[in-house]
Amino acid sequence: MSEVTATRALVTRGSRPPRGTRITRGSAPAGVRRRPHSTTWIALAFAAPLVAYLILFYAYPLVQNVIMSMHRFDRNTFVNGGAPFVGFDIYGEVASQPRFWPVVRQTAIFTIASLALQYVFGLTLAVFFHRAGFRLAAGLRALFLVPWLLPVIVSGTTWQWIMNADNGILNTFLGIFGVDPVWWLSTDTSLISVIIANVWLGIPFNLVILYSGLQNIPADLYEAASLDGASAWQQFWRVTMPLLKPVTLITLLLGLVYTLKVVDVIWIMTAGTGTSQTLATWSYGLAFGKGTSSVIRYSEASVVGTILLLVALVFGFIYIAVQRRQED
Amino acid sequence: MSPTTFHRIAAIGAVLATGAALTACSSSPAPGEDGSASEGSTTSKITFWDPYPQHKEGSAWDEHVKECAPDGATITRTSAPQTDLFNQLTSAVKEGNAPDIVVLDNPMMPSAVGAKLLATAEQAGISTDDVDENLLGPGVVDDVAYGVPFGSNALGLYYNADVLAAAGVDPASITDWDSLNAALAKVVAAGSKGITFSGVAGEEGVFQFLPWFWGAGADLEDISSENAVSAGQLISDWVGEGYAPKSVTTDNQSAAWDLFLTGEYGFAVNGSWFAAAASDADFATGVVPIPARDGGVAPVPTGGEFAVAPIQDDDASDHYANAAAVIDCLTSGDAAMKTAETLGYLSAKPDVRAQQVAENPLWGPWVSSVEGAEGRTTDLGGAYVDVSASLSEAIQGALNAAGDPAGVKAAFENASGY
Repeated sequence: MSEVTATRALVTRGSRPPRGTRITRGSAPAGVRRRPHSTTWIALAFAAPLVAYLILFYAYPLVQNVIMSMHRFDRNTFVNGGAPFVGFDIYGEVASQPRFWPVVRQTAIFTIASLALQYVFGLTLAVFFHRAGFRLAAGLRALFLVPWLLPVIVSGTTWQWIMNADNGILNTFLGIFGVDPVWWLSTDTSLISVIIANVWLGIPFNLVILYSGLQNIPADLYEAASLDGASAWQQFWRVTMPLLKPVTLITLLLGLVYTLKVVDVIWIMTAGTGTSQTLATWSYGLAFGKGTSSVIRYSEASVVGTILLLVALVFGFIYIAVQRRQED
Repeated sequence: MSPTTFHRIAAIGAVLATGAALTACSSSPAPGEDGSASEGSTTSKITFWDPYPQHKEGSAWDEHVKECAPDGATITRTSAPQTDLFNQLTSAVKEGNAPDIVVLDNPMMPSAVGAKLLATAEQAGISTDDVDENLLGPGVVDDVAYGVPFGSNALGLYYNADVLAAAGVDPASITDWDSLNAALAKVVAAGSKGITFSGVAGEEGVFQFLPWFWGAGADLEDISSENAVSAGQLISDWVGEGYAPKSVTTDNQSAAWDLFLTGEYGFAVNGSWFAAAASDADFATGVVPIPARDGGVAPVPTGGEFAVAPIQDDDASDHYANAAAVIDCLTSGDAAMKTAETLGYLSAKPDVRAQQVAENPLWGPWVSSVEGAEGRTTDLGGAYVDVSASLSEAIQGALNAAGDPAGVKAAFENASGY
């Protein structure tokens, strides 16, 4: 009897847990049921204001913009409703305007020229301040931030005065070298004028970010390079530039997204006339009846705005792809 | 797909769906209920919008408006530049909280009526009796009047008497374009600068160009006609020969006036609202009517604004009663004279105008211009804004061509689209 009891006891103990305990997956202790943690609710509560803000000020205008670009609005239907749905007709109409491709080209030239020149000048100054290291550098650096700190209405108006064709200081300065006065703000040269002003405005931003990027490059890399016999120029190309790549990427992307949207400096200087018309200024003029026409073209403005958004989005994706490849 | 990707897509989808739902929720408002000033009574708070931001709080115009409040009411006055005011009015009517009275630039009247923003003059109890036809014209759409003009300003050719005397030019000899150009040549040869005007993009530049446009015999129905091109050639030559500064492409009338006040320029094309400032200048000034191309006085566009009552959603009759009371106060009796004098306009009512001229000799040279002024929108109605936009493009192109005839012709022929 004792042998059978012993065997039964052995079998029982080894194969089945004792009664009363519940088996659960994971590390929950016995007797505890799984339910959402209170921390999840707290997290949602913190995120709620931000989500509400994003929906109200980003999602709603975005969706409204796209919807507006697919209905034919005028002042009457804007106020009283009833705008007809026309699908992508207005996109076709805007794209077939004689002005459309020149404006796209001008936007591209404005953006690429501004970015390139801002980056080159910003990098030159950053390297200068990084290498120079003499005591005046701090004061000079502060002075170079002035374009960034001045309100754009001040800088824009000042540049308009500087570039005045008849008695602006730029023409007087060029006259010293025997150059004929240039009508800077005429239709043909207005693009160059606004690029000059925008480059001047953008150098401090590049300077500050690239300078901090330069400071993060360890000095012993330069020492090692010079020990290996590298000249200053070679050090710049083989040590500085590769290590600046992530900072360069972010500077260029931020600069690109900002420059695509620039309206203020162009509007103050030329009101977007002539070759200085970009997608952003065109959209602004159409949306508020500014510039040559006081007619508000709601749908056309939404179309140009949507196009601008898509361009920025494309470059955003390019940046993400490049960054991901860099991490791999 | 992984839980993270799923969550991400779900989040984006939820956000976009909420955005779309919100958009659907914003229903289009119903048109304003019918109401009539005679059926309502004035309220204690009255809102008044006008396009005169230069008349700040405490200025003569501000005080004059606030004195016109009915007993027991206060007027809150807000100002904004012309186009901004119109945009704000559009949004306000859409939201249903439009002000009681708006002062709207006359070429915007057909657009405002077309967008159903305004109550009729009859509804709002606004009297349009004793007002000149040509000045009332822009506010009449399909034979219904929508408001009453305060008065009109006009454009004239101011001259610097000292500069002209030094150059040997007699202002009375300027009777057509040839004599004007000859006078300009003489003034510039004597060492001064020629003429200032405003060629800025937009309605202001078109307003300044219309006396030359109409003086050449051109018509707003066809802005690529030979007469139109000749008017463009006139101003383009001024820039090309150096008679006018290159900043005309970006100067508004205020900036052009500042240039004239430096005393270096012989002539200025500007408005009657500067008449008082001209008599106070450091140098002797005078004004002659703008000459037409082949002699005579060029028709000038009607300046000035209309006092209108916007469409209201709630308590419309009370709001219209407010509008009736305030506008009646501003445009009748002694107050009408004060309105015109404070704004620097010649009144739209002939008897008040005669009184103005009798009391102030400054206005003498302007009366004929105002009485001969043409409304910009009287013939074209709502189509004017598109014509104005094209004409503005043409003017900008002509000025930038700086005298090149092919450039000017191309500017006028290609001006279209947006």
